[in-house]
Amino acid sequence: MDRLFKIIYQSIRAVRAFKLRTLFCLVSVALGISSITIIVAATEGAYKKAFEIVERFGPDSLLVLGGSEEARAAGQRLKTITLDDVKAVQQAFYSAYLVVPMTSMRDVTVSYKENKYQTLVVGSTSDYSRVFTWPVIQGSDFTEEDVKGLRNVGLIGQYLVKELYGNEDPVGKYILMKGIPVQIVGVLSERGTSPAGERLDDRIVIPITTLMRKLENETKYVRALRIRFVDQENLYDHEKELRSFLRKRHGIPEGEPDDFMIISPKEIIKFLVALTGSLVVFLGVTGIISLLVAGFVLANLFLLSVKERTNEIGIRRAAGAKKKDILMQFLFESVVITTIGGLFGFLLALVSSQLLMLIAQFPIYFSWKAFAVGLLLSWVIGIGFGLQPAKRAADLKPIEAIRG
Amino acid sequence: MENIKKTYKIGDIDVEVLKGINLTIEKGEFVAIMGTSGSGKTTLMNIIGCLDVPTSGRYVLANKEVSNLTDDELSEIRNEHVGFVFQNFYLLPYATVLENVLLPTLYMGRRRDNAEKDAMDIIKLVGLEGRAKFRPNQLSGGEQQRVAIARALINGPELLLADEPTGQLDSKTAREILNILTKMNEQGKTVLIVTNDSAIAGYAKRIIQIKDGIIFD
Repeated sequence: MDRLFKIIYQSIRAVRAFKLRTLFCLVSVALGISSITIIVAATEGAYKKAFEIVERFGPDSLLVLGGSEEARAAGQRLKTITLDDVKAVQQAFYSAYLVVPMTSMRDVTVSYKENKYQTLVVGSTSDYSRVFTWPVIQGSDFTEEDVKGLRNVGLIGQYLVKELYGNEDPVGKYILMKGIPVQIVGVLSERGTSPAGERLDDRIVIPITTLMRKLENETKYVRALRIRFVDQENLYDHEKELRSFLRKRHGIPEGEPDDFMIISPKEIIKFLVALTGSLVVFLGVTGIISLLVAGFVLANLFLLSVKERTNEIGIRRAAGAKKKDILMQFLFESVVITTIGGLFGFLLALVSSQLLMLIAQFPIYFSWKAFAVGLLLSWVIGIGFGLQPAKRAADLKPIEAIRG
Repeated sequence: MENIKKTYKIGDIDVEVLKGINLTIEKGEFVAIMGTSGSGKTTLMNIIGCLDVPTSGRYVLANKEVSNLTDDELSEIRNEHVGFVFQNFYLLPYATVLENVLLPTLYMGRRRDNAEKDAMDIIKLVGLEGRAKFRPNQLSGGEQQRVAIARALINGPELLLADEPTGQLDSKTAREILNILTKMNEQGKTVLIVTNDSAIAGYAKRIIQIKDGIIFD
């Protein structure tokens, strides 16, 4: 053990002595490790974000939107889901504990006293806040009677509260919406922004009946349907059943595309993976290439170094160093350099990820995992590419080494 | 040493460098091996110092047969029983005098206390007091060779081998180095110098002439 420490100390002396070699190896290893570290952190960030989004979306939920995928991509928002569909789903799916229809209107001007603001008006049932796990923190939810009675009551988002009421308490006060007075009965908790950057707290939620009849003059179609299931583990079976159920109801023949879209947590993860995937692949390829380059730079510089230090090896052997002593010395030289390179690489990754997040709004999350992977890889490089030169040093015959 | 032969392969040709050496060196002797370059004198010294192994023949060092030991065992013998001094000094350029002298202690099989104190004593002995923290390139050739001698002595070997130890030095410095080696011999160490200079060989008590791989008197 004592001997090993002494040999490691010799390695450190050599790392310090051959500064140019150390510098080149250090830089190349640091670059390689930093890109790998960023990839690990980015992957972790993406998963964390996906998990958060799924958690918020509800891991037991499905969202059905009207209109085919193509139509939606073209910017159309077709209404294909009817109130009858909603009722039918409610009756057919026993394990669905919440089936909530929704419809909405964008850019509706609402006013309170002399304050005016354009906002999103959502129509839904009294289960809206439950189905989105979006609690009412002031006042109270509207009721089933409110929905049945087409009453002019509403819940308001935090952002809109500030816009319209300032510091006033909105509960119980009326706002005007397209000439109709609506009484605010509750305030929704703060929700922040959607993954797409939309302000979620900029909205008013009113009974779906009120919105359809009084604002839209609509009796049949709703925009979306949200369903939550008791048995989360069967969610994807339910998704399949729901798809064929709705296709049958809408009379879509075999081979034709759906006229609706079902969004599940899996869908969200797929979207996020696609979003981050390309960057991760790009970084991954660059990272692996730069790490390999680092390895070859290291191996070459060490081979040169072994050649240059033949006399040193000879004199060490003459002084009683065994083959494995020489092997260990050179191997440690390489591992010491790559370890320091790995640490620098990690710091570099921390700094450059800050820039990356500024530019790309990319979720990057550093944990001990990214650090551990970087350190581990730097050892792999140190040992993997340092072994061959170290072996060559150890296998030099003492007399040949002395002769130089 | 009985009938030591050494053959090198150079390309496809076998070159016999030592063609049957019979030699006995007693403990405490001061021997010079003389010969022209290519005579095999350095090869003979390397075999004596266990830095190389003979192709055939028997070699007993301090009552121990060493002709067929493993590489590791030879390393241990070199470490504990042999000290080398070379023409080109072979100091580690990036290490201090003290670190150079301590080099053989790194590879000792057993734990050693006070290595640093012993090294300082030996540095003093070879006349380099106050230079322990210097680097080789801050020293003259003669001083560098003194460091090399100190390094050869640190593990207390019985056998001191010097291959053209004064080849790079002027005659005054050479005399100083040879005086140190003589002093070591007087203290009981077996000293062996390889040289082609008869003036240097004159310091030894016994001269072995070698030519074309055999000894002649």
